[in-house]
Amino acid sequence: MTAAQPFSVRVREIVELAPSLKRFSFEPVHGGVFPTPPAGGHVLLTLRDGARVMKNAYSLVSPPSERARYDIIVRLVAQSRGGSSYLHRRVAPGDVLEMANPVSLFSLISTAKKHLLIGGGIGITPMLSFLPELKARGARFELHQLATLEEVPVFERLLAPYAAGEEIRVHGGGRAAFDLAGLLSRQPLGTHVYVCGPHSLMDAVASTAAALGWPKTKVHKESFGGDVTGLPFRAVLRKSGIEVEVGESQSLLEAIEAAGVDAPCLCRGGACGQCATPLVEGEAEHRDDFLSAEEKAAGTLIMTCVSRARGPRIVIDL
Amino acid sequence: MTVQFKPAETFRDTFTYKKSPEDLLRFPFPFPEDSYMYSVNIEPHVRGGPTAAFQAQFDVDEHYIAECKERARVLAEDPKRCQVLPHMLTAEWDSLEMIMENLAADYPEHFTLSKDGDAWTWVNRPLGIQQSFIFGKAETLPCGPFEYITRQAQGDFTLQDQREDNLFVDGGMVTTQADWSLEFDIGMSFQEWHGPVPLAHEKGVFDRALKYLLRLQYGQPVRRLNWTMTVNPRLDTSPENYPVWGPDKASVTPENVAEKVHLRVELQTLYRLPRSNAILFGIRCYLTSVADIAKVPKWRRRLHRVLRDLHPDIATYKGIPRYQQMVVDYLAPLDDGSATSPGIAPDIEKIEA
Amino acid sequence: MSDQGIKSRPTYAPLAPDPSGRHHLLVVEAAEVPAEALAEGISPSAFEVWTVARRSAVPSVPAMEEAPGSVATFRSVTHLFSALEERLARETMGLRLYAAGAEPFLWDVWGRAQKAGLSRQETAFAEAGPKARRVYCVHCRTMSEGITTSIFTCPGCGASLFVRDHFSRRLAAFMAVQVDAEVPGEVPDAEELYA
Repeated sequence: MTAAQPFSVRVREIVELAPSLKRFSFEPVHGGVFPTPPAGGHVLLTLRDGARVMKNAYSLVSPPSERARYDIIVRLVAQSRGGSSYLHRRVAPGDVLEMANPVSLFSLISTAKKHLLIGGGIGITPMLSFLPELKARGARFELHQLATLEEVPVFERLLAPYAAGEEIRVHGGGRAAFDLAGLLSRQPLGTHVYVCGPHSLMDAVASTAAALGWPKTKVHKESFGGDVTGLPFRAVLRKSGIEVEVGESQSLLEAIEAAGVDAPCLCRGGACGQCATPLVEGEAEHRDDFLSAEEKAAGTLIMTCVSRARGPRIVIDL
Repeated sequence: MTVQFKPAETFRDTFTYKKSPEDLLRFPFPFPEDSYMYSVNIEPHVRGGPTAAFQAQFDVDEHYIAECKERARVLAEDPKRCQVLPHMLTAEWDSLEMIMENLAADYPEHFTLSKDGDAWTWVNRPLGIQQSFIFGKAETLPCGPFEYITRQAQGDFTLQDQREDNLFVDGGMVTTQADWSLEFDIGMSFQEWHGPVPLAHEKGVFDRALKYLLRLQYGQPVRRLNWTMTVNPRLDTSPENYPVWGPDKASVTPENVAEKVHLRVELQTLYRLPRSNAILFGIRCYLTSVADIAKVPKWRRRLHRVLRDLHPDIATYKGIPRYQQMVVDYLAPLDDGSATSPGIAPDIEKIEA
Repeated sequence: MSDQGIKSRPTYAPLAPDPSGRHHLLVVEAAEVPAEALAEGISPSAFEVWTVARRSAVPSVPAMEEAPGSVATFRSVTHLFSALEERLARETMGLRLYAAGAEPFLWDVWGRAQKAGLSRQETAFAEAGPKARRVYCVHCRTMSEGITTSIFTCPGCGASLFVRDHFSRRLAAFMAVQVDAEVPGEVPDAEELYA
């Protein structure tokens, strides 16, 4: 059993939208089409800069009907982990990169009476994925995009294809001029709000909405959760008599499998219990839903598919 | 090998449904070990594995045409067996795309899907269908997109909407079900829908399964096998028609038990859908008589042991106490007590005549 | 028998205003807010209250203040529901809707709330009044009101029905199945559950 394999994509086109914004279009290296992109979905790109491997998530901005290419928009950020800078400065059309299957953790709610979209800066990207889907559904929506003054025309251009007859506004006057409380207080019953942008904006939307009586289940923030990665560690497999290094972007189970050891597993998502393995030494950072709080506290079992070591070394009975 | 369809077989009245030897060997036997208890037995739904029923995303076997005809008959009698709440229209199109693309990829000899932008043409050769339509425009199909495609697939399907950290069964095509009612259950949350299942709630099975399914990823479908037993090869064991099929249960005798009683297996598959973020849940039903099971040495030993030792609450929920002992008595002399291999594979290549 | 262990059956708790809400509307099936429907120390004035008088000579509702402490009286449940639909259609986010009454009333309220876009997190229900059940015959779809026994005869199809604890919030009803389907005539004695 293996999880979905990453696939190779070729850079088809790079368009400079603004000095710090570039749109990258990818196509499948081996021909054919991509899976239908999920609305609000993102892809994980593996970027190899010499020995350094970065895995960065980017929202897909191409519509679900477009499967010949996947588009992302990347903003060059000064203090980035290196991914945006690598894409902006080192990647050229024709280059081949590794991409993982698209994932959606930021989805439109089908029962919403109205969708209120709030984007801040590059947080416009998932909104660009939502818009064609909302249009296709004939759904009621309203979009507010916060931008710096120089970004206003860029964002207006990106939003223009969806703007006819819709409430779409780009605010260039800064956060202070944006009446968030007024906006949230006049929304009809059954509205869902979706926000993507700087944490300060997402927190402001969440706290303002809560103060106005919005239930948590109707406030949606973009997040790239469900991560199995973490600090690297060493796992000693006692029965097999070997040791494996678990890299930061690899699960314990993947490292065990890479070493050729046949480890039990089923769901690979921390639910089924199949991969529960006795933990002989060391402490686990439990990330599964299978073990009870008591079992986690007892520290005698670890779920290899999602959990990691809390520390440099563990010994498991495998 | 091209499958030979058997369009005339029936799942009611005359019950002419029969399995060929090849079809018996591809039966997804549901017990990987000699005893049974509820568990979250979910695994990735990848092509391959211990049974040929796992070779395709949506399995098509020799009963395809007959099952589609039986479905049409149930729907003619009771159109409410297919219902989708209005907010699930996007999930309907997602389902149509998912099923059509996979059928066409897995069975190019039977199904073809061609696209020119949003103008799609679907060809279903076994059922003699050719349909051109505009993807996203429901009025270009003879019925709703979900009903349209699930009329052309074996097994039941439901649509789960994801919201409020829960899943709601907000649509379905349910004509081959093990005693649950779509009309009654539509709109229920995950826990409510599974409300009548004993023991599993206390074991936390549903809470864990829900958490797992909420994180189900697009492009990474999963599956599990579930089982019950049915008297006669009847697909429609709905609560609606319980007065019709209920008397079958009292018709089992030691003489006819092997032919009458069928192991009913559900191959349950779950797909995250892209546009809607809903989950398409396939509940594919396979029926095999105890007499056919007895032709496979590993399966007859194991079925004997499972039924002999089954928790009485599970037996009651599955509705089998009336004839459970008769099945055990039939299988007991066929169980030589030898060990069985782990897993569900039949361990034989050919059914002995 | 009275607890079949089925988890779809709703449970209820006395009401108190949800501190996270901005408006609090309580609809009750009776002329007064039943005391047992409110949590200890909570007064009806914590809510805007709508009641049902069950008489025709109720003056038409004046333009009321939509605020805690105000009370509006309706002639019938149907009358109240029609006003509720209109009200929900023009409400804004932040509303919490509460209901007190018999079980079928509560889930009839829920149906209207859901249609207006309210989620389960924005509603709360307290059971008050008779415990008799609304029951749905799964075979012929007839609804029967006021069922107090474990087994009864369906007025639609004549089947002897056993009432399961399986509850549909959408239908606001329990499911009933024929008790003697397997061996016709084998009908156990009915048990009085809610005398």
